[in-house]
Amino acid sequence: MIDRLKDWLLAIAGGVLLALMIEYNSLLAKHTTPYIASWVAHGMGAIVALVLVFLTMMALRPRQKENKSPPPSKLPVWFYLGGIPGAFTVVLAAIAINGSLSLSEAIALMLVGQVIFGMLSDHFGLFLVLKRRIILKDFLVVTCVLTGSAMIIFGR
Amino acid sequence: MILFIFLALLNGMLIGSSRAINGQLSAKIGPFKASLWNHIIGFIFLTLILIVMGQWQVDNPADIPFSAYLGGFFGALFVAVSSYVFPRLGAMNAAILVISGQMISAVFIDWQNTDSLPSLLRCLGVIVVLLGIYLSRLPNISKNKEITND
Repeated sequence: MIDRLKDWLLAIAGGVLLALMIEYNSLLAKHTTPYIASWVAHGMGAIVALVLVFLTMMALRPRQKENKSPPPSKLPVWFYLGGIPGAFTVVLAAIAINGSLSLSEAIALMLVGQVIFGMLSDHFGLFLVLKRRIILKDFLVVTCVLTGSAMIIFGR
Repeated sequence: MILFIFLALLNGMLIGSSRAINGQLSAKIGPFKASLWNHIIGFIFLTLILIVMGQWQVDNPADIPFSAYLGGFFGALFVAVSSYVFPRLGAMNAAILVISGQMISAVFIDWQNTDSLPSLLRCLGVIVVLLGIYLSRLPNISKNKEITND
């Protein structure tokens, strides 16, 4: 239970990191274009991630000798391609906002899309996600979070 | 209009699939390596897009404040955290909790930036989001709560 609470708090902290990322990336996009901003952010992010990988390897080195896990050699290629839909997001967002949607509307719809995907993913086990039955309570949670988010997005 | 609504919804689903894939990779090779792959592949993909579009010029690169480059730092951390929790919490719960954290911090960030109190509607929105998180923490009353693990 404590472990679940930790994951749960980490996910919320992830949302805080995401908000900060968007805040600074939009500042960069204001000075450049959405594409160049995202390109620079991905490049910077790769360097930061590389440093983090290096630091964790240094920190874990003494322990890793004992339980050396087999090398993950047989992973399917698509496991490594999560960056493509992630980066393509920038393109679609730019198109939607250049079209008839306001920034707020586009953000709100993207949140709805994320939640729909999450529910479909749990239900059908998309991308090898663990299957989980969607229950009535899930719909209540989704309704609250999406309604509250809409109030925050449109309530400026 | 319908087309753009569809595109924005599709975009949210793309974000979800990116996180799902990174989550799977993270379970195999660790969250920081998953974040590294995400950024390298995304960087290559955006390089190709920029080559096709041919829009490399930036008007006054010297005017860009240093803080504008911080997004990559938070992005690397975000992808690691999100990839780590995704397989552990499930797709829907991970999405809901990340959105909650994102929306509530957006209120605080705007408060900080504009130096004026958030509107009443926004404050109510925060309460409704928190209510949703509280509901998600309640134990399931219904009997079909066990995870089908096939």
